Parts: sequence; C-alpha cells; structure tokens
Amino acid sequence: MNKLLLSALLGLALSSNVMAGELVKMKGKTEGRVNHEFIYQDGCQTCHQGSGKKNTTDAACVECHGDINSIPVDESKLAIPEAHPHKSLHYNQGASCLACHAEHEKKAPVCTECHRTWFEEM
Amino acid sequence: MQGRRNFLKLSAGAAIGSLAATLPGTVQAKSCGEINWDESADVIVVGSGFAGLSAAVNAKRQGLGSVLVLEKMQVIGGNSAINGGWLAIPKNPIQLAQGVNDDSPEELVKDQIISGRGMQNEPALRQIANRSLDAYDLCIDTGVKFRDGFNIQVGGHNKARAIRTQHGTGGDITTKLYEAGVKEGVDHRLQHYIEDFIMDGQQIIGVKVRKNYRFPDLKTGTTIFIKANKAVVLANGGFARNMALREAVDPSLDPTLDCTNAMGATGEVTLTAMAYGALPVHMNLIQTGHWGSPDEGGFGWSNALLSIGWHQGVAISVLNGKRFMDERADRKTCSEAIMKNRNADGSPAYPVVFFNYNNYAKDDRVVRALRDEMAWKVDSLDEIAAKFDIPAAELKRSIKEYNKHVGERKDPLFNRKMDTAEELTGPFVVSRIWPKVHYCMGGLKTDLGARVIDGRSMAPIKNLYAIGEVTGGIHGEARLSSTSCLECLVMGIIVSETIKADLEGAV
Repeated sequence: MNKLLLSALLGLALSSNVMAGELVKMKGKTEGRVNHEFIYQDGCQTCHQGSGKKNTTDAACVECHGDINSIPVDESKLAIPEAHPHKSLHYNQGASCLACHAEHEKKAPVCTECHRTWFEEM
Repeated sequence: MQGRRNFLKLSAGAAIGSLAATLPGTVQAKSCGEINWDESADVIVVGSGFAGLSAAVNAKRQGLGSVLVLEKMQVIGGNSAINGGWLAIPKNPIQLAQGVNDDSPEELVKDQIISGRGMQNEPALRQIANRSLDAYDLCIDTGVKFRDGFNIQVGGHNKARAIRTQHGTGGDITTKLYEAGVKEGVDHRLQHYIEDFIMDGQQIIGVKVRKNYRFPDLKTGTTIFIKANKAVVLANGGFARNMALREAVDPSLDPTLDCTNAMGATGEVTLTAMAYGALPVHMNLIQTGHWGSPDEGGFGWSNALLSIGWHQGVAISVLNGKRFMDERADRKTCSEAIMKNRNADGSPAYPVVFFNYNNYAKDDRVVRALRDEMAWKVDSLDEIAAKFDIPAAELKRSIKEYNKHVGERKDPLFNRKMDTAEELTGPFVVSRIWPKVHYCMGGLKTDLGARVIDGRSMAPIKNLYAIGEVTGGIHGEARLSSTSCLECLVMGIIVSETIKADLEGAV
C-alpha cells in the first residue's frame, strides 16, 4: 500500500498544482481528497470496510500513512511549537485520526474547540 | 450473529439476564430470549478522564482481569484532558520542601467544609484527602511531570498545597495514565457510546453500545452488546454541556452561557443510571465562572487575563459605555451583573474589560491573550468605542469619572475596593466577557466505596460503581479549585479496591 501511496503522490506532483489534501468532486456528489483519487478508482471498501454506509475507522488511515508518530507535520506553520497536533499535550497517542481529519468534507481539528485561532479547517 | 440479534426484544426499561432461571418473575414473563453478547470484559469503565483512566489502571493492578475503557469521543481524556492540571495534595514533597509543614488531609477537609456550606459529604472528603498521597504516587509512578518547586495556595485553600503539571493541563496526567494502561493491558476504545444498560433486576450485567459512533450523531455506528463479568464503573463526568438538563435543574443557567468543558460532557450515562433507579443528588448545584471570554473555547486564558482586568482595570457595558458592577465582587454577584447586558433581542451584549497595556506588555497572560486573539491591544478610547460599538462620548465620560475615583481611592458607584486600581491612560488591553458553566457538583449518589445507590431501596445497585464528576453530594454547594483531579484519581484507586472486596465477599 505504501508503494501505491508514493506513486500516487509522485503522479500528483508531476501532473498538477493542487495541494495533496485538497477537497474535490470525486464520484457523483461525493467529494474527496486529491491524494486519495486512486482509492476512489478502487471502490470505497479501502476505507469503509464492507460497505460505503459503514463508518470508517483509523485502521484504514494507518494502513497507508502509518501511525500518528510517523506522520510529519510542517512545524514552521504552527502558531506556537506546543500547537503540534501530532504531539498534543492533551491527547498525545490517545487521539483518533478522525478527531481532526475528514475525507469527504472540510473539518476543523478538535484543537479548535478551544484554540480557535491556531488551526484552520482542513 | 447479526440475524440472531433480532430475537432480542428489549421492552422499555426491561432487564434481561443471560440465565432465565435467575430472572425476577416480572421480567421473565416478558423475556423472549437471551442476549447475544458480542464481547465481554471483567471490568467495563465508562469514560476516559482522570477517574476512568485511574480506575482502569488500578483495576488491572488489583488483578480484576480484563479491563475495557469505553470513550464516546474521538480522543482519550474527556474533560480532564483540557483541564488546568492543578492538584491539591496535602504533604506533597514540594510543599514540604517549601517548609509548609502544618498542612494535613484534615486541613484540606476543613477548607472544603467551608466551601461546601454544610451540603458536603464529610466522610467522603476525608477519605479522599487521606488517600491524596496515593494519587500523587500514581502520577509519579506513571511518569507525570509536575512543575519544579511549584506549590501554591489557590482560592479557598488555607495552605499552599496545589501543585501543577508541567504544561498546565490535565492532559499531562491523562496521556500518562493512558500510556500506562496500554502497557499494562487495558483495552481503550474510542467512539463507543453507551446506549443503554443491560440489567438483571438490581444488578448490571452489561452495556448496549454504539460502536464507531461519531459525536454527536446518534445515527452513526452500529449497536453491540458487551457483557460485564464483574463490574461497570461509571466515570463519564459531568453534564455541563447538556443545555436542556442544566436548565431543567437550574433555570437561572440560561443557554447563552457557554461552558468550559469538553464537548462530550453531556451526561446521558448519568440519566441512564437514573432511569434504572440510581439516586440523583444536588443536581442543581452547578458552578459557574464569571471570567469567561466568548472569543475562545473552554476555560481559556480569560480567567488569568481578568486577574489583571478586575484589579487594575475596568468593566464597561457596550450598550451605554458605563461601568455596571464592582469588578472585584464574588462570582455570583458579577455573573448576575454581566448577564444583564443584553441586546433588544435578548442576545448577549458582551461587556468589555480593559486595562493599561504598557505595565503588562511582557506579562505571559497578556502575551498569550493577544497572540490568540481573545484580547486586543487598542490605542485609544475612540478606537475601543469604534471596535466594540460603544457610544464614544459616554465611554470617555465614564473613564474620566473612573480615573477621578482611582485618584480618590474611592468608588462611590459600586463601592469597589480601589487599592489596586490604575488610572486608565492607554494603550489598552481589551477583552470581552460572558460567564461560563464550569462544574457539576451534583450527580449520582454513591457510598464510600463508590457503589451507586438505588433510590428506592437506598442499597447499592449490584456491580454498578461511579466515580468522579458523575457522582454527586461530595463537594456540597461549591467545589474548591484543584480538588476534582484529586477526587477522580483517588476514587479510581478506591473503586478498584471496592470491586475486589465485593468479589471476595460474594464468593
């Protein structure tokens, strides 16, 4: 899966100037992330185990991206160093990917519930 | 499995046991089959804040078997994870190193009795205070870091006994308890919402859970049944975010009041327990802080910023540019005065609090507030008037009058103590204020062992325990700062001991 991810990212880098996580129309009315286009070609099962109507879980994210510790965050963009969402002082390892990330819609990370100016909708 | 579950018929409030022979007659008559449990655990803990995580780790250490923590949100830690990280521990090592040798658990209880105004549960407070060093040890042992040499006296305490976590958040404790739990074999699950309890008469035997639930949408996820072999520990926190419930028990808490709590503090598990007979106490005792800012979520920086604002600055109504209260009065007096500021449609007209910028430019409280845009540096009264839509002439007249009163060290308008007041010349630090709901003193009645008490029999509901903010009656009228974390951690230890004792007694 990781190889697939890499090739998808490379393809993205060569073919367009959209950002990796940008939200675009994917299938019919369903929106999705540009970097996940190859998953949509595969059907929804990669994320929704069994059926598109079933809620996804972290397992699907981790399979391609690795766990929260192995995913880099551009620290130059943080409001303050402590605002590192993958090393949160409040949750650290105890956060689901879904607390901050959504595939089909823009979502504000859980941190913005209190720290309103630190993060933007992604 | 899926198909077979259709045989299960749960009538409203009905209790169905796995063994028909043990069922009380009334239920047996209605029951049509047995529960198809999807899984089981020896101890099920509901909620993953200080209380739940402490209970989980300690249940493991007591050898109670498999421990399952069910958290409905997408993060571990509940309200505790965003709490301020204060912990009152009489005779803690930092306190002793400071030379404060005359503190004791009994001294802490004394303070809590004053704050509880006769409504507190003294034996419960005493038990918690007596075990406070155990809570401290639990923290140290799981890797929690406290600030070096930091131990101070906080509001309502007669001794310096409050220590604070390294980063000033309860997250410093919840993340460590969580990691210790993972290491010691506790199974933590996110997005598991308790839909119902499964009762066998006066005993809880499991929970109906919505798995992969996505707060707050009850249509998400799928239903599963988890059997509790030995105990269910409710550690689901308070209900300060449940607008309808808090207004029902205290009509003065109108819905315009925001809340310092995490979004998940909605109390539905408390209500479920009540539906099965658990006795609620003190539900209307809800703590409110008059130091909230509408420009940030949660507890935020406002409280700290206003410790300058109330003393050295002024509170002004945006409606007429006038002062409207003694800025240094108590919480209730100030809250009531602030909430009178309303637009014609009843919506809040957030008053502004401001003080001189220059003297506090480098103060952490100001730096953070300006950085996070919950307060602003504004150069002149005209600019304040424009930015916050205040009548400029009235504002200037009010400040001119206020400065005269500062000079005379006398406040004829509201009789405020003016010893710390500063003449306001600008530039200013300006923030907006509105009270926030903070803590629910009320909840489920428990005995000293954390067993949930049934209101009809006044006896414990078998195998059902509750600890932390979900319980009621412990603090009485008002809870002191830095005592909730202590209560939660200690009761997590005590509940594991009770469960063990109850199991031994049952054999």
